[in-house]
Amino acid sequence: MNVFLRELKANKKALIIWSVCMFLGVLSGMGKYTAYSAGGQYNKIFENIPYSIKALLGMGSFDVTTMSGYFAMLFLYIEIAAAIHAVLLGAGIIAKEERDKTTEFLMIKPVSRDTIITSKLLAAFVNVVILNIVTLVSSLVMVAAYNKGNDISSEIVMFMLSMFIIQLIFLSLGTALSAFLKNPKTSGSLAAGILFAAFVISKITDITDKLNALNLLSPFKYFSYVHLAEGNGLDLTAVILSLGLVSIFCISTYIFYRKRDLHV
Amino acid sequence: MNMFWHELNSLRKSTILWTCTLIALAGIYFSVYPAIANDAADFKRLLGGYPASVRAILGISLDSITSLLGFYSMIFTFITLCGAIQAMNLGVSILSKETRERTADFLLVKPVSRWAIVSSKLLAALTMLIITNVIYYAAASILATMVKTADFSITLLFMINLTLLFIQLIFFSVGAAVAVIIPKLKSVLPVSLGVVFGFFFIGALLATGENDAARFLSPFKYFNPSYIIRNSNYEAPYLITGAVIVIIATVTAYIIYARKDIHAVS
Repeated sequence: MNVFLRELKANKKALIIWSVCMFLGVLSGMGKYTAYSAGGQYNKIFENIPYSIKALLGMGSFDVTTMSGYFAMLFLYIEIAAAIHAVLLGAGIIAKEERDKTTEFLMIKPVSRDTIITSKLLAAFVNVVILNIVTLVSSLVMVAAYNKGNDISSEIVMFMLSMFIIQLIFLSLGTALSAFLKNPKTSGSLAAGILFAAFVISKITDITDKLNALNLLSPFKYFSYVHLAEGNGLDLTAVILSLGLVSIFCISTYIFYRKRDLHV
Repeated sequence: MNMFWHELNSLRKSTILWTCTLIALAGIYFSVYPAIANDAADFKRLLGGYPASVRAILGISLDSITSLLGFYSMIFTFITLCGAIQAMNLGVSILSKETRERTADFLLVKPVSRWAIVSSKLLAALTMLIITNVIYYAAASILATMVKTADFSITLLFMINLTLLFIQLIFFSVGAAVAVIIPKLKSVLPVSLGVVFGFFFIGALLATGENDAARFLSPFKYFNPSYIIRNSNYEAPYLITGAVIVIIATVTAYIIYARKDIHAVS
């Protein structure tokens, strides 16, 4: 319990900064909506742009003149920020001990390594949940403030649920990498690199249809945002497979950390 | 001189990795260009049917999108993002390395002034950035020539790629300044990723439009590739702002590092 509370306290400042940034991000993103929803001829133009060029401009297959389509376009940026937070948190929370030379102090305590990992993972999980809720509330408030059309609150909830799953995937990926690598300090960079690669892949599969097999490598593409924007819920198989991926990563964290030679 | 060579050597692996990443990024995007070129040609024909005002909204940017350089301007955003992360990482890590790795007392008891230390480090990092840019430019030119459908100006490609160097210099110097200002830097990555992505989002969401005051907020928007293509020149106010930022940040790094209390073991 101590480890859990202590980790929460240690991450408090970072969490506050991230939450404020997320809120500002949603705010500024929504602020641009008025430009896109000018309506009239703008709509017709957007309809006729070929798919690949739209993808290049970042609009993909959404109708950005409606609130739900625009939110879907904005959502990718929000999701990246949340994923970066999750990845750095996950990698950092395990690597922290060896980086700050507090390993000996912690390991001497009469708690098993498993308990320590559980407390750390739980603390990280709570952080991720809090960030998600902050984003959810800011999105609901901002969309309501700028929305001229239908109410899309339920779609926003679906979006945030998918973001939550992405956060969990990257969080567990960060912890697993950190537990596995010999030099825990590089785990953050490696995990961030994987995230960046996933982002690039998602942008590329947006542009061209032929490389759809690569979608498997990019968690950003596990949920179809077109579906979400239209109001169909999350794809159940994708959810189950993602949660399976999360559990594989979590279990790996435990296994690797148990056998790990910790440098004091 | 030793310090310069030592830093150069320690940056070797990371620079190779980053250069390969940049080239791979450019390569992947260039590989999808032929498909876009086809689509774009069709679309341009369609655009011909729209009234002039409508074309003005989108037509101007889309006229050049169909060309190789126009496409390159679009994908260049991601290349600069990647390059900025490399530069920021370099800047923050190179001046905080001693503090993080506990080698501070080894380096600082040597009979060299702190100015000399900072100079060697900054020069080594600068050399690596220039090498990255040169290799990237060579690779980009080759890739562009491989996928081109019409001839393009090599000079313009060079000018656009030069902005990568400028943005990297800005982020590098800002990173160096950040590294000396923060008393105890434990981890480079959150700081560098946070700053770079922060500016990226500010640039993407706030600073749009040709002559916006808000463009000064994000180094990513200082150099507009479509402007460069049209005028074969950089926009003076932004170029000057960038240079000023680099100078101020570098001088700050020197001055603060010279007076800073550096802990041998923290």
